Amino acid sequence: MLWVIIPFLGACLLLYCLLAGADFGAGILELFTGREGRREQRHIIDRALGPVWEANHIWLILIVVILFMGFPSVYARVSIQLHLPLTAMLMGVIARGCAFTFRHYDAVQGRSQRPYTFFFVWSSLWTPFCLGVVTGALVPGGLQSGDMLSGAPLPGGIGQGPIGYFEGYVHPWLRPFPLALGLFTVCLFAFLAAVYLIGECPEGPLRRRFARRAAAASAAAVLAGAIVFAAAERDGVGLAKRFASNPWAAGGMLAATALMPALWVCLARERAWPARVLAGTLVALILTAWFAVQFPVLVKMKGGPDLTIFNAHAPAAALDQLGWALLAGAAMILPALAWLLRVFKNEAG
Amino acid sequence: MEDLMAARSQMAVSLGFHIVFASIGMAMPFLMAVSHWRWLRTGRTVFRDLTRAWSRGVAIFFAVGAVSGTALSFELGLLWPRFMEQAGPVIGMPFSWEGTAFFLEAIALGLFLYGWNRLPPKVHWGVGLAVGISGVLSGIFVVCANAWMNSPAGFTWLNGRATDIDPWRAMFNPAWKGQSLHMLLAAFAATGFAVGGLHALLLRLKPGSEFHREAFRIALAIGSVAALLQPLSGDRLAKGTARRQPAKLAAMEAHFRTEAGAPLYIGGWPDEEGKRVRYGLPIPRMLSFLAFGDLHAEVQGLEDIPRDQWPPVAPVHAAFQIMVGAGTAMAAVAALFLFLSFRRSVWLDHRRFLTLAAICTPLGFIALEAGWTVTEVGRQPWILYGFMRTCDAVTPMPGLVYPFLAFSLVYLFLALVVGWLLLRHIRAAERDYPSARPEAGHA
Repeated sequence: MLWVIIPFLGACLLLYCLLAGADFGAGILELFTGREGRREQRHIIDRALGPVWEANHIWLILIVVILFMGFPSVYARVSIQLHLPLTAMLMGVIARGCAFTFRHYDAVQGRSQRPYTFFFVWSSLWTPFCLGVVTGALVPGGLQSGDMLSGAPLPGGIGQGPIGYFEGYVHPWLRPFPLALGLFTVCLFAFLAAVYLIGECPEGPLRRRFARRAAAASAAAVLAGAIVFAAAERDGVGLAKRFASNPWAAGGMLAATALMPALWVCLARERAWPARVLAGTLVALILTAWFAVQFPVLVKMKGGPDLTIFNAHAPAAALDQLGWALLAGAAMILPALAWLLRVFKNEAG
Repeated sequence: MEDLMAARSQMAVSLGFHIVFASIGMAMPFLMAVSHWRWLRTGRTVFRDLTRAWSRGVAIFFAVGAVSGTALSFELGLLWPRFMEQAGPVIGMPFSWEGTAFFLEAIALGLFLYGWNRLPPKVHWGVGLAVGISGVLSGIFVVCANAWMNSPAGFTWLNGRATDIDPWRAMFNPAWKGQSLHMLLAAFAATGFAVGGLHALLLRLKPGSEFHREAFRIALAIGSVAALLQPLSGDRLAKGTARRQPAKLAAMEAHFRTEAGAPLYIGGWPDEEGKRVRYGLPIPRMLSFLAFGDLHAEVQGLEDIPRDQWPPVAPVHAAFQIMVGAGTAMAAVAALFLFLSFRRSVWLDHRRFLTLAAICTPLGFIALEAGWTVTEVGRQPWILYGFMRTCDAVTPMPGLVYPFLAFSLVYLFLALVVGWLLLRHIRAAERDYPSARPEAGHA
């Protein structure tokens, strides 16, 4: 069942990025909108997100469930040492969902729209940033190894154990690499949103504006990607070497790079669907490359064995039930999701 | 504040906040489905207006419930990582089913809210009902996991670790039926009484509004059926608790001495040092009867339980009394309402009856919060009853008081905003829906 669960975990992550990521991206784009066309753009974003954001967001819950049922020690370890950025991310999740809904459903569309919009756009930026930081903290041996499985005290409080508060709970994520990955996630999600929204607009200046934004965001993502590699070198992660030495990762990155010109052509011609497919493929390639580099490690540890999918998984009885639950769940969710998207994403594009 | 206390407080605040929105998310779609059905059947615009007005409220409540629920799925690990590490494989299954049910609920809600002019009317109605059904299912799955913490099953505990696990037996543990039924009825009773009470108040202020009259009747009818069934389910759950968690039952009843033919105390304040109840009204032999169905049965008292395994007696006893008191009052009003409805009495529209219903608005949610206090505080000092203590499960990260304060402030703020939004909706109802105007009833 491990071989059902692992692809499922990857698929959930990919779908979360492609769907919920774009929802966050739409909020980020609003941040960069000038006065002109703001109302029209907001209308497009409201219409595009309204019916789907809650469903899109649930891929994250599935990821959490897979982790704590299938890889409980990973879930526990990450929860302990990344408490602060995870809490920060949750604040963003709460603020974004509430602000978006309040903005749309307030019975009086008056002055209160401004604070809603403020919270909506900033939490749309903040949440993916934190998500990137959390992800980045898992990659380069940042988490302390300590015998938590036996219930022995972990890196204790300040002055309690061999490891202090900063080293235990702050340093794992407050480093150049996780922060750079946060920045990259923000750019990537904004890029996805801009590409998707092209298809939501009628022909005209707004459509052109989203196409231009998408091109700009893709350039920003490339730049942020370069910063990620530079930061990785500085943190001693050796990301470039690991990418180069892994055929899947190298191939994925090369393919992603090769797709860029085609994407730019589609953007220049405002071709909605080809651009969407290319953008989705691009993200899938980047994630595949990352999985390939990471495989089979789930969390890199400092001073101890890494947590891998082979040594950190739950007993077989739990994996079996999880696998079947995921398969049965997918058989119900995917048709329903397809119906939802068909009903609401059919008219434009 | 001590870290353990901060973690417990954060969990209490998060659960206490989420449960209100989750309950409304479970019950409200059924209220809407009734009104929606009557619109399709009768073509009276008041029912269309009502369905739409309610659905706008539900959209807000559902969103807040969804994000606070997401936060909870992380908080379980952030606060209790050592518990989750052992519990995850054993009790993860209902959570994975809950994820599926919640997913379907979110999809159905999107289709329902935005599908007014896009879906055929019958399909649209069915999608609305699907929101409620998947909401109820996800509620049952989550309560299964909580029931497992109260009556652990499906594993062998070896050296502080869960081994030899059986997820099915864990999910369908001895307490799952009793607890889920009690929670579902609570959600329907609380939502029905809150919505019905609010519309009763508005009808009292705007006599003759057809909109508020129909809303009041639909909501209170559903709430009343649940409120009348609730004492039966509560009795069943209490009997199970008496067998499975004698310490919790003893704390609920402030029952200190083990004795046959034990009395039941109404009210009163438990004196933990003196091991007796002050100022309470005892009813002889009643506790033995309620707990075991036998006036002479022996009921274990707290004195037979090691002192370090006592739950905090006073809060559990007080919360239990509040829950039972509120529930009894609701059941009485429910019986009156159903009687008047059955007789088609003019008293249903009488301002005295409307005032009574309006007073009952918060009762269901007070009972709900008190009930969860009984369940959770009554399980202490255990997080996994009889196997793992709460103090052994808490995260080692120091300074937990800060996340607790942050979550408390955010949820307090959100509660205020949601209340304010609700008020704005109520004020705008007459603008948006002609049937909500007072003269509509006389037209």
